[in-house]
Amino acid sequence: MAKYFKITLSILMISAIIISCKKDSVVDEDGLLITFRQECFVSNFELLGADFVSVRSKTAVIDTVAQTIDVEVLFGTDLKNVYPQFSLATDCKLDPKISGRTDLSNLASPKVYTVVSGNRKIRKAYKLNIKFQ
Amino acid sequence: MRNKNIQFSFLVIMMLASMVACKKEEYTIPDPVSQLTNDCIKRTIGPSIVSLPLEFAYAMAIPKSSGKLVSAQVEASIAGASGTYLENRSFYTNSSGVDVPVLVGSPSLTVDKSTKVTYSIDTNAATLRYYYVIPEEARGQSVSFTFSVTSSDGKTASYKMGPYTISKMSIKRNLAVSNGVNAYISIEDMAVYNAAAAAAAPGKIDLVYLFRAVPTTFTHALVSPAADAAYLPGVTLPSGLNRSTKLRKVFNLQDRNLANLQFGIYVDDVDLRDVDMVDMPNFAIGLRAEAGVWVETADKKYRAYIFVNSINAAGTAVISMLRYTL
Repeated sequence: MAKYFKITLSILMISAIIISCKKDSVVDEDGLLITFRQECFVSNFELLGADFVSVRSKTAVIDTVAQTIDVEVLFGTDLKNVYPQFSLATDCKLDPKISGRTDLSNLASPKVYTVVSGNRKIRKAYKLNIKFQ
Repeated sequence: MRNKNIQFSFLVIMMLASMVACKKEEYTIPDPVSQLTNDCIKRTIGPSIVSLPLEFAYAMAIPKSSGKLVSAQVEASIAGASGTYLENRSFYTNSSGVDVPVLVGSPSLTVDKSTKVTYSIDTNAATLRYYYVIPEEARGQSVSFTFSVTSSDGKTASYKMGPYTISKMSIKRNLAVSNGVNAYISIEDMAVYNAAAAAAAPGKIDLVYLFRAVPTTFTHALVSPAADAAYLPGVTLPSGLNRSTKLRKVFNLQDRNLANLQFGIYVDDVDLRDVDMVDMPNFAIGLRAEAGVWVETADKKYRAYIFVNSINAAGTAVISMLRYTL
């Protein structure tokens, strides 16, 4: 009887050690820290021209419920060569990433950027609507 | 006993280390100049552009007991353009930081590659400036210089400078443009034309300057003749103008040569060669003073950087340009 008890105890101990040694993944595929934050929204938006000067004619309107960003740009803005800048809630990231000059000239098909929360479990797709002044 | 030995050894090592560390190198007074000596610095920084001068300061000295300076000479590997000279004044900096000239010789004489000043006063030390105006023949090549001095005791000293690579760029400064009048810009000629002259050579006109107060974002603009009519409001182009020139606006790039020696930024050959002009528009509106545009001509023969020196609300502007042949 005592023998069975010892075997059971040993198995339990080994299992406990194995489970306790399992390491949670704390970084995502981009090497960014995964946190517990669930906030997931765009807080600010800027659009720069090829000369890195703002091409907005007024402040961008961000609707976090409808998940849209409406921005009006100056007359003559070359939307094939602009640099969008997003400010996101803490620990969020953007998908697709903005790697440099971006072509936003197809106004008929607004580009969609997805915000991913800090815990990487919530994704919100924002539609970027651009119109000329 | 053993511990005692270790402690003793440690103490000896420490003492030796501190003696070595504290050893002070004796200062020796440098030998005074005992013969004819010279030195040179290049004062010009930034790219070496044809038609602009390279400036050097050439210093020379001989002990008073050995004699005096007789002449100074510079020989360039490629003869300088008109305006090349060696100063016949020596400069010293006074207590206020101002360079004060002292006449030391006759005006320089340039013969082919050589420029010479003969001293007219009894002096044994001087610093002369040399201005080498870069000739067209030197474009894209290397230029080097040999500075030399001769003293009354028959000795000669020389100093080599360079080689310096001369830029492939051309420069044109302070071109006045005006809305509807001198509004047609040729990159090939680096010139501004009126409508009649533009009609006579339409294949050379790459840009049109225009000013529109409304919309307020339009103001001063450089637009290709082939641009959308929305960017040429009220403009009737001379016949034959149809080039589509690519433009890329840039701000805070005040090239020192174009901005009349203000600021400390230089545009060089490599910038014009490597600037990404893919998918760039053929118009640039809303230009301000000290703004600029990268330009690529329709035939991809030239790239240029146009800098806006000044603007006027009456519809005029002053521009300068650097042009690079691809």
